[in-house]
Amino acid sequence: MEYILKNGIVYDPANKVAGEKKDVMFRDGKIVEMVADDAKVIDVTDKIVMPAGIDPHAHVAGPKLVVGRLYRPEDSRKGITNKTAVTRSESGFSIPSCPATGYRYSRMGYGTVVEAAVPPLEAKHTHEEINAIPNIDITPLALFGNNWFVLQYAKQGKIEELAAFVSAWLKLVKCYGVKIVNPCGSEAWGWGMNVHGLDDPAPYWDVTGREVVTALAKANEMLGMPHSIHVHPNDLGHPGNYPTTVETMEAIKGIEKNSPIRDQTMHLTHAQFHAYGGTSWRDAESGADPIIDYVNKNDHITIDVGQVTLDETTTMTADAPMEFDLHQLSGLKWANKDIELETAAGIVPVIYSGKAPVNSLQWAIGLELFLKVNDPWKVCLTTDHPNAGPFIRYPRIISWLMSNERRQEMMDNREVHPWSHKRTSLATLDREYDFNEIATITRAAPAKIYGFQDRGALTPGYNADIAVFDLNPNDIDPSRNPAAIEKAFGSAMYTIKDGEILVKDGEVVKIKQSHTLWTNVKGMEEEEKAVMKQVMPDFTRYYTVKFENYKVFDKFVPNPTVSEVQAGK
Amino acid sequence: MTYVDKPALPKVVKFDEPNEKLRNILDVMLNTGSDIYQGACKKRGSTLKDEYRKVSGIAYMDPKDMAKLGVTNWDHVKVVSDWGEVIVYCAHSRDAPHEGTIFIPKGPWANVVVSPETYCCCDPTYKGIMCTVEKSDDDVLLMADLMRAVYKKYVKTEDEDGIKDLATLGEMPVYKKL
Amino acid sequence: MANYEPPVTDYDKIVENCTCAFCGCNCDDLDYLVKNDHVVGVRHACRLGASKIMEDMDQRLLVPMVRNNEGELEEVDWETALNKAAELIAGAQRPIFYGWSETSIETMHHGLELGELVGAVLDNQATICHGPSLQAVQNVGYPVMTLGEVKNRADMCLYTGSNAMNSHPRHMARYTTFPRGYFRPRGRFDRTIVTLDPKYSDTAKMSDIWVGFEQNGDYEFYNAIRAVLKGKKLKKDLISGIPKEDVEELAESMKNVQFGALFFGLGLTHTLSKQRNIDIAIQMVADLNKYTKWVLMPMRGHYNVNGFNIFMAFETGFPYGVDFARGYQRYMNGETNTIDLLTRKECDVFMVIAADPGAHYPGGAVKHLAEIPVIQVDIHWGPSTEIADVVLPGSFIGVEAAGTSYRMDGVPIYMKKAVDKPETCRDDEWIIKELLERVKNIKAEQGALASK
Repeated sequence: MEYILKNGIVYDPANKVAGEKKDVMFRDGKIVEMVADDAKVIDVTDKIVMPAGIDPHAHVAGPKLVVGRLYRPEDSRKGITNKTAVTRSESGFSIPSCPATGYRYSRMGYGTVVEAAVPPLEAKHTHEEINAIPNIDITPLALFGNNWFVLQYAKQGKIEELAAFVSAWLKLVKCYGVKIVNPCGSEAWGWGMNVHGLDDPAPYWDVTGREVVTALAKANEMLGMPHSIHVHPNDLGHPGNYPTTVETMEAIKGIEKNSPIRDQTMHLTHAQFHAYGGTSWRDAESGADPIIDYVNKNDHITIDVGQVTLDETTTMTADAPMEFDLHQLSGLKWANKDIELETAAGIVPVIYSGKAPVNSLQWAIGLELFLKVNDPWKVCLTTDHPNAGPFIRYPRIISWLMSNERRQEMMDNREVHPWSHKRTSLATLDREYDFNEIATITRAAPAKIYGFQDRGALTPGYNADIAVFDLNPNDIDPSRNPAAIEKAFGSAMYTIKDGEILVKDGEVVKIKQSHTLWTNVKGMEEEEKAVMKQVMPDFTRYYTVKFENYKVFDKFVPNPTVSEVQAGK
Repeated sequence: MTYVDKPALPKVVKFDEPNEKLRNILDVMLNTGSDIYQGACKKRGSTLKDEYRKVSGIAYMDPKDMAKLGVTNWDHVKVVSDWGEVIVYCAHSRDAPHEGTIFIPKGPWANVVVSPETYCCCDPTYKGIMCTVEKSDDDVLLMADLMRAVYKKYVKTEDEDGIKDLATLGEMPVYKKL
Repeated sequence: MANYEPPVTDYDKIVENCTCAFCGCNCDDLDYLVKNDHVVGVRHACRLGASKIMEDMDQRLLVPMVRNNEGELEEVDWETALNKAAELIAGAQRPIFYGWSETSIETMHHGLELGELVGAVLDNQATICHGPSLQAVQNVGYPVMTLGEVKNRADMCLYTGSNAMNSHPRHMARYTTFPRGYFRPRGRFDRTIVTLDPKYSDTAKMSDIWVGFEQNGDYEFYNAIRAVLKGKKLKKDLISGIPKEDVEELAESMKNVQFGALFFGLGLTHTLSKQRNIDIAIQMVADLNKYTKWVLMPMRGHYNVNGFNIFMAFETGFPYGVDFARGYQRYMNGETNTIDLLTRKECDVFMVIAADPGAHYPGGAVKHLAEIPVIQVDIHWGPSTEIADVVLPGSFIGVEAAGTSYRMDGVPIYMKKAVDKPETCRDDEWIIKELLERVKNIKAEQGALASK
C-alpha cells in the first residue's frame, strides 16, 4: 500500500528541512522517494509534519514501575478511561499502566521510547512489560554502574574483559546500551550508605565512580556501540552538586569515540537534577551555568534536561540512597528494591508545586538548560518520566520553550515562586524555540545520540514513523498562543508508525505490537567465552538463580529490531 | 499410594495437677495456618484420602489442655465456634507450650469454624478465633463426606436430614466414566 | 528406620535446573529424574516441592467432567465441557475469575482478556493471604530486596508471623540462613536468626533468639520497638507478655547489625489487626534504616501469586481484586474482593483456576459457592471439585508445560517443561484461550440477535 502525505510543512532537521512545503511518501512501512499516481492521498495541507518523536530517557517498563503502581493505587485511579472498540481501559497519571503508556505516547506523535534502566536479573520482567505496551518501539538500557563484576574489572583496569562482559551481558538481557546510575552509590546503599562525589570509593570494593565511568566509556567505545554510555551522575538532587557533574563530564574527555553517527562519548541525563549550587536548600541556587558552559564548549557531551512540570508525580530511580533521603525530607511513603550483585532502586511520591521555592527553582533551572545551550543537537526534551513530571506534559514544556511571554507571565503572576527568577537567570532569557529546534530536541537529536539508522528522520529507507500536528506554522505565533501549541502537540492529527496510521485526530485508531531494540555485538565470541568462564564461579556462588534460567529467552522478545555492531570498527 | 501414614507425634503425658480437674469443655483460641504435613498432602493431590484427614483434620493442642479434657493422641474432639462446628482428631503439638490455644492446619475442617469476616481488609479472620473444644465420639469425616455434609451442594432436600446415614463417598474420585 | 526409601537409580535422563512449582521460593535448581517420560525422582527439592512433583496420580484430573442432574460428575468430551463453561461465563452478570497463582503468566494474559470482555472480577490468592500486606504497602511503603541480597549481606534474619520451616522449607536453607554469602562466608555462623512467634514453632527451634509474645500481641510489640528506636522510655513492664528489658535489648541488637532482613507471613495478615500489623512492621523497618540497613519481604505462598499481582499491576494498575463490571478497572478493598463478594452473595458464576477455594475459603464463603455454578480448571481432584459443576483438567506448569512465574521477591523465572502432559489433559493457556474464543462467539451472536 502506498501513501503520500500531501502539502505538509515538513520539519526534518536531520535532512536539513526546516519548514518546507513538501510531500512525504511511504510504502510497506518505509519512507520512499516516489510513489505511483494511485497512492492513497492523505491531505495534510499546511500542517506540521515531523518524524515521530523519540524519547531518549523515560521509565516506562520494569520492576520498579510495578512497585510504583502497586503501592500507589491513588495514582492508578487517576486517568482511568473506559475501554473503546480499539483501546483497552487505561489507568494511571504519573505511572500509567502499560496499555495506557503506549496509547498516550502514540497520541502525542511519539514512535520510540527509551526505557532507561533495566536491572539485568529482572530483565524478563521489563520485556514482558514492553510486550504489553502497544504502538511504540522501546529501547531498553541495561544497568552496569554498580554491578559487582563491573566494579572489579574497573578497579583492575581490565578494559578488554569489561568490554567482553558488556557485550555478553547485552546479549543475555537483550538491551541496547550501557546505563550507569550513581556509580558505586547504589552498591554503597547495599549497606545503607551512599557515595559523595566522583572520587568517593564504594565500601569494600574500593573503586570510585570515576574509575567505573571511565572504564565503561572505554569499553563502550572499544565495542563501537551505537549509543555512548548513558550516565546519571553521583550526588543527584543535592545542593552544590554541579562540580560533580562537571567532573563527570570531564573525566572521559580524552576517550576517542568510535561511532559514525553520534558525536558524544557520554550522554548525561536529567541534567537539571545535577545543576544545583549553594550548600543547602536554604541558600540553593542555580548551578546550571558551569554545566551549560561545558556543554557549549565541548562536543563529546550531550544532555537531556529532566524538566520539572509542577505536578504531583512519583520519583523512581536506580539511585536508591537518594530516594531514601527524599523520604526523610518529605515523609512520603518510601519503596525500595535492592537487586543482588547488580543495582538498587527507590521510589517516593513527590509534589512539585509552583508555590514551593525549591520546586520553582528546579523548574527554572531546567528551562535555563534548554535556553542557554546553543546547539539544539546537544540537548533533548525529557522529564525523566515520571521523576520530574509525567510524559504527557511534553507538549506543555514545548509551549514554554516557544513562548517567552508565557514564562514571564508565570513568574510575574506568581504561578511559580520568586526563587525561579531570583536564584537563576531565567528572567533575562528571552530566547524562543522555533519548530525546527523543537523537532531537533524531540526527534533528530535523540536519534543521532542513540545511533539510530532507521528512525528520527524522513530519509528514504527509514521507518515510516511520522507525526502530523494540527498547526499551521505560518498562521500561528507560538509566542502568543502557548495553549494552542500545547493542545496541538498533545493530540496529533496523525501518528504513523511503520507506515500504519495508529492515531487520527488524537484518537487511537489502531493497535500495533511494539518492537524491542537491542544491540548484538559481533566479533567478540572468543573473548566473551573467556569472560563467562571467569565469571561463572562467582555467579554460581552468589546469585540465587541458576545461570541457565538467568537469560532472557527469545520468547520474551517476539519483535526484535537488532542493531548488529562489529566490535572495534 | 500413601505418602505418610500419619504425622509423627510426641506422646501425651498426663500432668499431676492437684487443683486441676477434668473438664468437659474448654474455651480456647483457635489458629489455623500452614503445616508441612498438610502442605505436602494437599499439593500432591491426595486430599480424598485418609492421609489428608490425618494431617488436616487434626487439632494440635498443648498437652496440659489435652490432660484437662482427658484426651490422648488421635482421640476425636468437637470444635465449636460462632460460625460452625467440626469433629477433628486431637494431637500433642510440636510447638507446645501454648496452653489455651489450639492449631488446626488450614483446610476444609478448619474452615468450617473460622470467621469469614474481613473487616474490609479482604482477608478472612483465620487466626485468633474463640471456640470451645470437647471430647467427642463422632467420626472425623473424610474430605468428600465433609464437603457433602457441610455444604450439601448436591444433596437432595429430602435427604438433608439423613446425611449422616448416607454411604461414604470413599477415598477415590467418584465420577461417571464415558 | 520406617519410611526409608532407597535412592532412585532407574532413570533415562536428568532434566536440570527445573523450577519448583510450590511455594514462593521458586527454587530453580531442581533436577528431575525422568524415565519413560515420567518423573520418577527429584533432587534438591524440599518436602513440599517433592510431594507436588511426585504427585498422587490417583487424584489427577484426567478428563473433562460436567455435573449431571443427579449431582454426579460425568465424563464428557472437551467440546461439551468448554461449551458449557463458556455458556455460563457469557451469561453471567457478576462473574469472578479466581486463582491464577499456580499457573503461568501466559495463561493470565488470556484470562485478563476474558475478564475485560465479560466484566468479571479478577482476583487471586492474595485476597485471602497477603492482601493486607499490599494494603499496608499502599499506606506506608515497601522497602524490599531480592533474596540474593540477604544471602550475601545479611547478618540478622528476623521471621515474624511466619513458620518458614513449614511453609517455605528451603527459604532458610537456600536463601537466608545457611548459604555462604559473599560477605558472610561462614554461612549460619555469620548470622543471627530471630523468630517472633507466639508458639515455639519449628522455625523458632532453629533460631538464636525466640520472642514468644502473646497471641494477637504483634502490633503492641512492634510499636514498643519503634518507641525504643525513637529514644522513648517504655512505661509498661510487660509488652505483649515480654519484659521491657528484652524489648530494649532486641531493639538495640537490631540497630547494631550491618544488614537486617525481616520476613513476615500470615501470622500478621490473618490476626485481627490485619493490615495494621504489617503497616507498623514496615514503618519499623523504615525507622531502622536511619541507623543501619534493613529490608523486608512478605513470604508469598504460591509460586506465581506475586506474578499475578505484578501482571495485573502492569496491565491494569491494580494488584488484585480488579473489577471490570463497568468497562474499566476498579479496585476497592471490601467491595471488589472475592470473599466479600461471596458473603454478600453478589457472585453468580465462579471460575477457579489453579486454586482451591473449597479447601481454603472460610465456610461462610463456600456456602455461597454451593449455591452457584462453579467452573474448575485444575490438575488434581480436591475439595473444590466436590462443589464444581464443570471440571477442566489442566497441565502442571514447570513439569509438563513451560511458563513464566515471579518469585516472592519479584525475580522472573521461566519454568521449563520436562515431560509431556497426559494426553487427555490440555495446557492451561489453551483452555482459557478456548473459553475466550467461545465467549467471544456467544457475545457476537447475542449482539447480532439483539440488533435484529
